[in-house]
Amino acid sequence: MSDVDFTYIQPDGEEKQVEAMEGMTLMEAALFNGIDGIQGLCGGICSCATCHVALDKELYDKLDAPSEGEAEMIAMLDDHGPTSRLGCQVSISEALRGARIRVLGTEA
Amino acid sequence: MCVAEADPILNQPQIYDPYEYALHDDPYPVYRRLRDEFPLYYNRKHDFYAVSRYADCMTVLRNFKTFINGKSTTLEKEVIPGSLPFILSMDPPDHTRLRHLMVNQFRPHNVAPLEEVVRETARKLLAPHAGTGRIDIIADFAAKLPMAIICALMGVDPADEDMLRGWTDDIVHREDGSNEIVEVNITGTRNLLGYFEEMIQGRLARGEVGEDIVGQLIAFEQQGKLNHAEVLGYLYLLAIAGNETTTKLIGNFTYQLWENRHERDRLIGDPSLAAGAVEETLRIDGPTQMQGRETAEPFELHGHTIPAGSKVAVILTSGNRDERHYDDPETYRMDRGSRDHLGFGGGLHSCLGAALARLEGRIALEEMLATMPDWDIDLASTRRMHSAYVRGYTHLPLTFTPRSAA
Ligand code: HEM
Ligand code: FES
Repeated sequence: MSDVDFTYIQPDGEEKQVEAMEGMTLMEAALFNGIDGIQGLCGGICSCATCHVALDKELYDKLDAPSEGEAEMIAMLDDHGPTSRLGCQVSISEALRGARIRVLGTEA
Repeated sequence: MCVAEADPILNQPQIYDPYEYALHDDPYPVYRRLRDEFPLYYNRKHDFYAVSRYADCMTVLRNFKTFINGKSTTLEKEVIPGSLPFILSMDPPDHTRLRHLMVNQFRPHNVAPLEEVVRETARKLLAPHAGTGRIDIIADFAAKLPMAIICALMGVDPADEDMLRGWTDDIVHREDGSNEIVEVNITGTRNLLGYFEEMIQGRLARGEVGEDIVGQLIAFEQQGKLNHAEVLGYLYLLAIAGNETTTKLIGNFTYQLWENRHERDRLIGDPSLAAGAVEETLRIDGPTQMQGRETAEPFELHGHTIPAGSKVAVILTSGNRDERHYDDPETYRMDRGSRDHLGFGGGLHSCLGAALARLEGRIALEEMLATMPDWDIDLASTRRMHSAYVRGYTHLPLTFTPRSAA
């Protein structure tokens, strides 16, 4: 598996470019790289929403749609938008190369 | 150890020894002192550090490159001879590989369909006691429910459940004040691993791998995603992790709701609050009190450098009672709504079975409210488990108004 590079935009606006292994999730890659605003409290079992990110519309459409469980979690978040995802449910793939991932910093 | 002689941390009073049985009755005042006076604590006898404030627990759990799980999440220097690597004793990238294989089916959405079988099992266990007005809620109910569910998920013969539970109890046993590995830890480990090995070989010989967890793990091995030791290690951990803690959770909310009777009265009026009661129990009296890490490099905390290669205790239930993080943290309030507690840990190793544990806990409570809402505890005949890591009862006899059979 190869590395993919992309950028997190942290809640305070600071950008951080990272390289992450394909197959990891956006939550894990954030924890690996010390990205602010992603806690990953539940370790990716889709039950804490402390990994909330917003994607560009183009990328959002390119990826598989969120599962029912993820969509329900997102709908409960005050600050969710049309391209919201839970980072732990997004696998890193070629589609993310060069992407800009906005971290929303939702608390549990 | 190369801590300087004059280091004040070496002169701290020795107030926290998780191996001492006496601590297990009520560790919470000790945790409070740790948080207030010794936020970085050092235990000389067993040579480990401890963090107890919420923010510090989070720091350790988050910094998985500095605070590694290493060989094990215990504070013991040795692991049980004959044990195999499992997900909790791994670090990335191996940990990530193992976790991804199972994470999907442990999501709440995929666990929810188990509601019916959990409820049926709970009812079946409670029914024989409903008319008698007495039950040992641990031995008769809480010890059996989670084991029945995890065994069903793994495809274990229900007739073997008690035997497996005996072995998992053996594996976690420690003597008073000691962190030495004892003989039953080794035999329990050998028995449990041997049982799963036989199960796997039996399925392979019959050419029926199956679709339960055992079957899935065999398939992962055949696809080269896991090696054989990792398959056995996974089953070993699931049998232990899916059992002990959920049992203790049920006992702990039985106690908390008896102690806080006004909260139980509210629950009787509105059983939809049950999920909140489970969550609040995980916060204030969670079964997993503490987990260990090991430093891969030195780390600066509260003006002291923890040397590389040190064991560090993360006292989760102390973090959960930290007044720096929660309002009125020592009060049991089931509508508190805090899901950021550390009852299931946090971060990469956060409990894989949390959604299942929440489901089992909620249903157990709902069924207890339906069968024995006025349960009373005979405190004098309760008995506790003695473990550095897990807090809860081994015997918790209740009396209640008997129900005539419907
Ligand atoms: C109330 C019940 C439970 C509690 C309090 C609990 C607590 C925990 C905690 C605190 C951790 C993190 C340990 C660490 O970071 O060092 C953990 C990990 C784990 N738990 Fe649970 N647990 C419970 C039930 C379950 C159940 C029902 C299962 C499985 C069916 C399970 C499977 C696991 C596994 C596999 C891990 C290791 C995850 C990893 O390392 O990535 N647990 N649990
Ligand atoms: S890490 Fe908990 S929902 Fe994503």
